Amino acid sequence: MPEAYQAFVTLATTDPYCMGSLVVGKCLRRHGTTRKLVAMVSPNISTEARLSLEDVFDEVIVVDMLDSRDRAHLFWLGRPDLGITFTKLHCWTLTQYTKCVFLDADTLVLCNVDELFDREELSAAPDPGWPDCFNSGVFVFRPSLETHSRLLEHAKMCGSFDGGDQGLLNTFFSDWAIKDINKHLPFIYNLSANAIYTYLPAFHKYGHQAKIVHFLGRYKPWHIPNKQQPPTDAPQWDTNRNLDKYVDQWWAEYYGHTKMHADEPQELQDVEHTEQLGMSEAVPCSIQAPTSWHSSQPSVTSPTTPHPHPHSHELVPQAEEREEKEPSELLTELTLNAPSSSTCHQLEDTCLKPDDLSKAEAEILEQSQFQEPPVEQKQEEVISGVESVLSEAASNTEVSNANLEHRKRWEEGRIDYLGKDAFENIRMKLDQFLD
Amino acid sequence: MSARMNNLTNQNAGQRRDAVAAGMPLARSFSVTSLSGLEEWDEEFDLEDAVLFEIAWEVANKVGGIYTVIQTKARLTCEEWGENYFLVGPYMESNVRTQVELIEPPNAALRRTIDKMNSSGCKVYFGRWLIEGSPYVILLDVGFTAWSLDRWKSELWENCAIGVPWFDREANDAVLFGFLTAWLLGEYAAQCEDPPHILAHFHEWLAGLGLVLCRQRHLPVATIFTTHATLLGRYLCAGNVDFYNNLAEFNVDKEAGDRQIYHRYCLERAAARCAHVFTTVSKITAIEAEHLLKRKPDIVTPNGLNVKKFSAMHEFQNLHAQSKARIQEFIRGHFYGHLDFNLDKTVFLFIAGRYEFSNKGADVFLEALARLNYLLRVNHSQVTVIAFFIMPARTNNFNVETLKGQAVRKQLWDTAHTVKERFGKKLYESLLGQLPEVSKMLDKEDFTMMKRAIFATQRQCLPPVCTHNMLEDSSDPILSSIRRIGLFNSAQDRVKVIFHPEFLSSTSPLLPMDYEEFVRGCHLGVFPSYYEPWGYTPAECTVMGIPSVSTNLSGFGCFMEEHIADPTSYGIYILDRQFRSVDESCNQLTSFLFQFCQQSRRQRIIQRNRTERLSDLLDWRYLGRYYISARHMALAKAFPESFVYEAQDPTSTTGFVTLVLPRCHPHLPTRSIRPHITARLRTRTRHTTKTWRLRKTA
Repeated sequence: MPEAYQAFVTLATTDPYCMGSLVVGKCLRRHGTTRKLVAMVSPNISTEARLSLEDVFDEVIVVDMLDSRDRAHLFWLGRPDLGITFTKLHCWTLTQYTKCVFLDADTLVLCNVDELFDREELSAAPDPGWPDCFNSGVFVFRPSLETHSRLLEHAKMCGSFDGGDQGLLNTFFSDWAIKDINKHLPFIYNLSANAIYTYLPAFHKYGHQAKIVHFLGRYKPWHIPNKQQPPTDAPQWDTNRNLDKYVDQWWAEYYGHTKMHADEPQELQDVEHTEQLGMSEAVPCSIQAPTSWHSSQPSVTSPTTPHPHPHSHELVPQAEEREEKEPSELLTELTLNAPSSSTCHQLEDTCLKPDDLSKAEAEILEQSQFQEPPVEQKQEEVISGVESVLSEAASNTEVSNANLEHRKRWEEGRIDYLGKDAFENIRMKLDQFLD
Repeated sequence: MSARMNNLTNQNAGQRRDAVAAGMPLARSFSVTSLSGLEEWDEEFDLEDAVLFEIAWEVANKVGGIYTVIQTKARLTCEEWGENYFLVGPYMESNVRTQVELIEPPNAALRRTIDKMNSSGCKVYFGRWLIEGSPYVILLDVGFTAWSLDRWKSELWENCAIGVPWFDREANDAVLFGFLTAWLLGEYAAQCEDPPHILAHFHEWLAGLGLVLCRQRHLPVATIFTTHATLLGRYLCAGNVDFYNNLAEFNVDKEAGDRQIYHRYCLERAAARCAHVFTTVSKITAIEAEHLLKRKPDIVTPNGLNVKKFSAMHEFQNLHAQSKARIQEFIRGHFYGHLDFNLDKTVFLFIAGRYEFSNKGADVFLEALARLNYLLRVNHSQVTVIAFFIMPARTNNFNVETLKGQAVRKQLWDTAHTVKERFGKKLYESLLGQLPEVSKMLDKEDFTMMKRAIFATQRQCLPPVCTHNMLEDSSDPILSSIRRIGLFNSAQDRVKVIFHPEFLSSTSPLLPMDYEEFVRGCHLGVFPSYYEPWGYTPAECTVMGIPSVSTNLSGFGCFMEEHIADPTSYGIYILDRQFRSVDESCNQLTSFLFQFCQQSRRQRIIQRNRTERLSDLLDWRYLGRYYISARHMALAKAFPESFVYEAQDPTSTTGFVTLVLPRCHPHLPTRSIRPHITARLRTRTRHTTKTWRLRKTA
C-alpha cells in the first residue's frame, strides 16, 4: 500500500490543545516518519495557532464542531471539556487517505511508530481504567464515509456511555476486546501517565520501552510550567518525578519547534499571509518572551484566547449557523467599520479581526464583549435598531456564555495572563469603582 | 540604667542641643535642626470617634512570621486605642481553646453586628486574645460559610475580573475570609447610629480581598494594606533568580502566571492598588513592591519587638557569661579528645532560621568560614572559631558519637568529683592532727581512676560536624558544602563547625538550652540572607546585646544602615549583597569575621554594651510610630473633610535620630560622648505617639 495515502491525524479544538498538536507533529517529524501529517482543527482556533500548525503538518483541516448532546453525562463525568472530542469522528471523512493513525493532542511520541500502519482498523491499546475497553487516544482506522455515517447514526441511537468519544467508539467497535488480538496495540503505544502511579514496578521494568506517552487527566503538559523550581510550599498539584521527565521532554519538543520555526526562511503564498505568518511566529514566542498587553501587537495578545463567538453545541451545525452568525457578524462589522463577506466561512472574518484592528479597537471590542456592560449595551442598542429583538437576546446569551467560559478558565487554572487577563485589564476594572 | 536616663532626660532640651553642637566631634554631620520640631507637639489626635480593625489570617493562628508581628504589637496598639481596637482573624477551634477567652462584645453596635451575621448563616466569635495587652478579637468561621463560596466567587468575578481556581484551597479560604470581613465592616458601619471613623488595617494577601471589597462597596472605611513580603518575590528568590538586579525587568504577569500563582498575585496586587495607604516592612521590600506590585509604598512600617528591660544595667552581660559557660560545657563534651584549643579564646558564631540554604545565606557563610580558617591559620592566631548552624532539617534523631561526647564529659566530671570527695576527706582527717603531706593526699587508686577516665577520652575519629543523623545526608546542601571546603573539625583547623539540624530546646539531652539562652551565650549572629523582608533573628540578637551580621538586602540591615551612622561600631555588621558579586560578599564577610576575632575580650564587652543600647530603636514603643503615621495618613485620605494629614519636612518625616559616632577609635569610645548619643535617642523615644500630627478640621 503506498505510503503517500497513509497519514497520522491529530485534532485540536482549543488553542492550548494546538500547542499539543504542534508537539505531536514535531516529534513525528523528528523521528522521521514517512507518512503524511494531518491536523484537524475546530473553527474557533485562532489564525496564528492554525498557521503555526501549517508549518509542521502537511494538511490542516478545519472541521465543524460536533458536540455531544449528552451534557448531563458530561457533567457527571466532571469533564465538561470532553464533549468536543466528538469532533474526532470527523477523521473518518479523510477519504483521501486509505489508512490513518489517530493521535490525541496530549500525546508525546518518543520514537518512530510507522509500524502502526501494519495494523488494521480498529487497533488500539487498552484503557488503564478498564482494560476491556480501548483508549481512544491512539488508534488505527480506515477513513470511510460509510463508517462515518454509521458512527453518527450510532451516536444518535445509543449515545456514549461516558459522554465522550471513547465510550461511543467502544460500543461501536464492541468486539475489540475479544475478537482479534492483533488489534490490541501494546500498552507502550499509549502509555497513560496515570499508569505510572497505579503500577510503579511495571513502569520501572517496562517504562523505558515506551513509544507514545499519553497525558491523561485534567492537567496537560502545557499547564505545567517547565523551567520552574518551585519553593517548598509551592503548589505541587501534578508533579511526579517520572512524569516530570516526560513533561520536560514535551517542553523541549515544544520550544525546539519554536526555534526552528523562527530561523526558517518564510515561504509565502500571498500578501495577506505575509502579515499573518510574521505574527504567527510571535505566538509560540510570546509564551517565553516578556510581552505585555501594551507593547505587543493585538494578534499576540493570547495564544489561548477563546473564540469570542462560542458555537452552539448542536449536532447539526449548518442549520444553527445562520441564526447564530448574524448578530455576531454584525457586531464585528460595527466595530470594524469594514464589510465582511457573508459567503465566507465565519472563521475567516473573526480570524482576520486582530490583524485589521488597531490596538485600541481591539480593546474596545474586547471590553464590549467581556467586561464593560455599558458599552455592550450601547452596541446592542445599535443592533436592535437593525435587527430583531430575537437576535439581541441571542447575542446577550452569547456574551454571558463567553463570560462563563472565561470564568471557568480561571477556575481551572488556565488563565490567559499574557493576554486578556493581564493585570492591566484587572486594574482598569478596579479603577471603575476606585474613583 | 533608669537612673541614668532620668538624669539625662531631666536636662533642659536647649542645653542638650548646645552640648551636642559644641562639644561633640562628629564623624558624619547630622541635622541639628531636626531637633527643633520636638517642642511643637501641641495637639494630640483625638481617637474618641474612631475604631480600628486589624485584619490578618494569623490573628490567634500561628502560621508564620506575621503572627509574631501582630502578637507583639498588640500591647502598644491596645494602649493607644483601648476599647476601640479589634483584631479580626479566622476561627480555628484548637487555637481558640488555647489562646482566646470568648466573651460578650462590650460594644452595643458590635453586638448587633455579630448577632445579625450569626442569624444570616455565619459563625462569628468574639473574645479576648490572651496575650500581652489582651486585645479584643473577632474570629470568623471560614469553613462554616463555605456554602457561599460559589456565589462570592461569581461576585468577585463580576466586580474584579479575578477568578480563583478550585484546587487552591488557601486562595478559596482567602475569598471566604475576604467576603466575611467586608461583610463585618459593612454591617458594623450600618449598625452604628452615629458611625465612627472606621479604620481597617489588612495584612498580607490572604486578608487583602476584604480591602478590595470595602472599596468596591464604597464602605466608609479607611484602609491600609501591609505586605510583609511579596508573593512573587518569595517565589522568584526561591528559584535562584538573580532577583535584585532584574527587579525592574521582570514581566510580573508572566512570572506569576508561569508559577501558577497568578490568581493569588492578582488578589495581592488588587489590594495594594485599592488601599488608601500601602505599606511594607522595610525599604528593600518597598523597592520589591514597587516593581512587583507596581505601587510605591506610602510609608515603611518596620517590625518591632517588646524589649525586656532589666533593672540592673549589665544584667545582659551576666546572662551572656552564664549562657556562654553552658555552651562551653557542651563544647568540652563535643570535642573530647581534641580539646587542643583554649575555650577562653574561642568565639561562638551562629546562624539560625528556616532551612533555606541560599535565601538565608548559609552558602555565603560557609564560604567565608573557609576563608576565615585560612586567614587565622596563616596569621597563627590563637583564636578558635566555632560556628553553629541551627537550621531544622529532616533527621533520625541524634547521632551516637555526639551523645557519647556528652557522656564522656559527664564521666570526667563525676571522676573529678569522686577524687575531690576522697581528697577532701583525707585532708580533713589529716588536718585534725597535723599539716597534710601533699604527696600522700592522692593514693594509687585515685591515680588509676583518673588515668582510666583520661584514657576513655581518647578518640579515633574527628569530632562530628553534624549532631544528628541526617535523612538526606548525601544531598544536604550544608553538609555537601562542608565536604567541599573541608572543614572537618581537625586539629589544625581554627574554624570548627557544628550543624544542629533541629530547633533548640531546653529539654534536649545534648544542648539543653532554649533559643534565647543560646543566643545570649554566643558572640556573634551571622545572617547573610539574600531574601529577608524583615529579619527578626538579627533584631532579637540586638535586643539581647549580641552583635550580628546582616545584609543590605534584609529589612533589618536596611533599617539599621539608614538610622545609624556607623553601624559597625554598634556591632551591626552590614554585608553588601546588593551591589557586589557573591565572591566579593564572601570576602567582605570574611573580613568582618576576622576583624571580630581580633577583638579583645574587653572590646567585645564594650561592643555588646553598644549593641544593647540599640534595643530602644527596635522596641514597638519606638517603631509603633510608623503604624500610627500610616493610620493617620489613611484617615486623612479616606475622610478628607474630617482630617488633615500634615507630613513634616522630608528630613524629619523619617522621624529618626541618626545615631552618630565620635571620630575616635570605634572600639574605645571616650566616656564623655556616649551619654549624649543615648540621651538623644531616649528623649526622642519619649515622643513616640506625637511624631505625626493629625489635625481635625472643623
